[in-house]
Amino acid sequence: MNPDIARLTVRQLLGQRRTVVVALLALVPVAIALLFRLAAPADADPERFTARGLLGGIVTTTILPLVTLVFATGAFGQDAEDGTLVYLLATPVPRRAIVLARLVVAWLAAAALLPSAALAGALALQGGDPGIVVGFAVAVVAGAFVYTAAFTWLSIATSRALVAGLLYVFLWEGALSGLFGGIRFLSIRQYTAGIAGAFFDLPPGVYQPRLDPLPAVFLAAAVAAGMTILAVRQLRRWEIGESS
Amino acid sequence: MTAPSAPAIELRGVSRWYGNVVAVNDISFDVGPGITGLLGPNGAGKSTLLHMMAGFLRPSAGEVRILGEPAWQNPAIYRRIALVPEREAVYGFLTGRELVELAARLHGLPDPAAAAARAIDLVEMGPHAARQSGGYSKGMKQRIKIAAALVHDPQVLILDEPFNGADPRQRLHLMDLFRRMAAEGRTILYSSHILEEVERLADTVLVIVAGRLAASGDFRRIRALMTDRPHTFTVRSSDDRALAARLLAEPAIRGIAFEDGRLEVRSAELLAAARALPRAAREAGVTLFEVRPTDESLETVFSYLVHR
Repeated sequence: MNPDIARLTVRQLLGQRRTVVVALLALVPVAIALLFRLAAPADADPERFTARGLLGGIVTTTILPLVTLVFATGAFGQDAEDGTLVYLLATPVPRRAIVLARLVVAWLAAAALLPSAALAGALALQGGDPGIVVGFAVAVVAGAFVYTAAFTWLSIATSRALVAGLLYVFLWEGALSGLFGGIRFLSIRQYTAGIAGAFFDLPPGVYQPRLDPLPAVFLAAAVAAGMTILAVRQLRRWEIGESS
Repeated sequence: MTAPSAPAIELRGVSRWYGNVVAVNDISFDVGPGITGLLGPNGAGKSTLLHMMAGFLRPSAGEVRILGEPAWQNPAIYRRIALVPEREAVYGFLTGRELVELAARLHGLPDPAAAAARAIDLVEMGPHAARQSGGYSKGMKQRIKIAAALVHDPQVLILDEPFNGADPRQRLHLMDLFRRMAAEGRTILYSSHILEEVERLADTVLVIVAGRLAASGDFRRIRALMTDRPHTFTVRSSDDRALAARLLAEPAIRGIAFEDGRLEVRSAELLAAARALPRAAREAGVTLFEVRPTDESLETVFSYLVHR
């Protein structure tokens, strides 16, 4: 990992308007948790709501992939599009160091979602099993890394990374995974859910991940490593665009 | 390692195509130390060629070697070469100094601040180095990009349209800088679509038209080819028909025609025609009002070089 490229990436991300949008997006779970506390019906189950609706629902199915998509494509896609990537690549810095610097910064930026998710979980849980918040905190950090690695590769491989990423999140992981059970093995959302499930024990009717923790961890690690390797290989073969 | 006799830049049968479009077609040449101009009209394939030389495009066929090593997928060559791309984009949130220092750090230089200061001085950007580069003019962006490219003292410098946006004084300064670098034994290759930019600076020229190498070698020889090519003029005089009759006897004149009532004269070469026209007018007792070349666009000149 190259510290100069890491610093450059931090400044790039901080200077982008989309970062402000993402920061606002990260506050959504807290707002939902507050609403639940204030307006939930008397027979509502806080554990069910927190595990299934909030952390296992909106946080891991929507906010986590969106935040990582924005940061990962912001870290590489902009440079590739405007041609400034040449200034990093026309140096002897190993390509893996460039990818790792950008990936780690984008991941840490996305992991900043964690305090918001944890706070939202704590607010909504109202004294329920704290393992739910801990489990999802760990799962969000792990899932953020896998998503960031995948979207980093995507942003080097295609100029339409944002569209491709949205298709993956909402079509592949959202619509199609409900129709074809096998998709759980190729779904970062399911790895995240499986990892979270290792930290608490709720009845299947309340929360039931489609992957057990061990295969979820194994697949998440394999996909993260594979995507990182692919991103490095893709960057080694990166060609300046015709318009560049 | 570089073979002692290896040219700084070596292309062998290099082609590059995008789908069905051939951008560069079977080009071979060597470039040695000194200043070489890559001349061609817009869209001729100059940038594609330069990007292949700088290792940012894979040749579809053939081989590009820089200082004896393959250019493609070989980041180690960037210790000794540098590319100044045509596009203006820079990291606009960095100041000029930060941008050049970043380049120095990425090259692993022992004293990045000193190396950046030296490179910034070379392009006379010292007074503006503390400003964010996003607010620079086109010419200033060009100069700060050149500073970032020069920070590690490269042996081979590849520049894509480096004088774009530079005012005449900056242009002269950059030309002087490149001449000094060439005198130190470095290889400088730059592209331009402006004949005068190449004429004033390059010792050697490569002319590329429609992806093909149309001519290469000493600039004076190629300039002579461009001058001695057939030319067409429209002529306005006190008696076009008398002048036309007299011109037919001139060996330098290849053809006479009347187009829309105007006398059009075709000659074998420029200087002979320049002598023949006033002589014929004098002998025919005709006054010349206007002699206007009709085919002086760069594209016409390049087209002649390709088809000769």
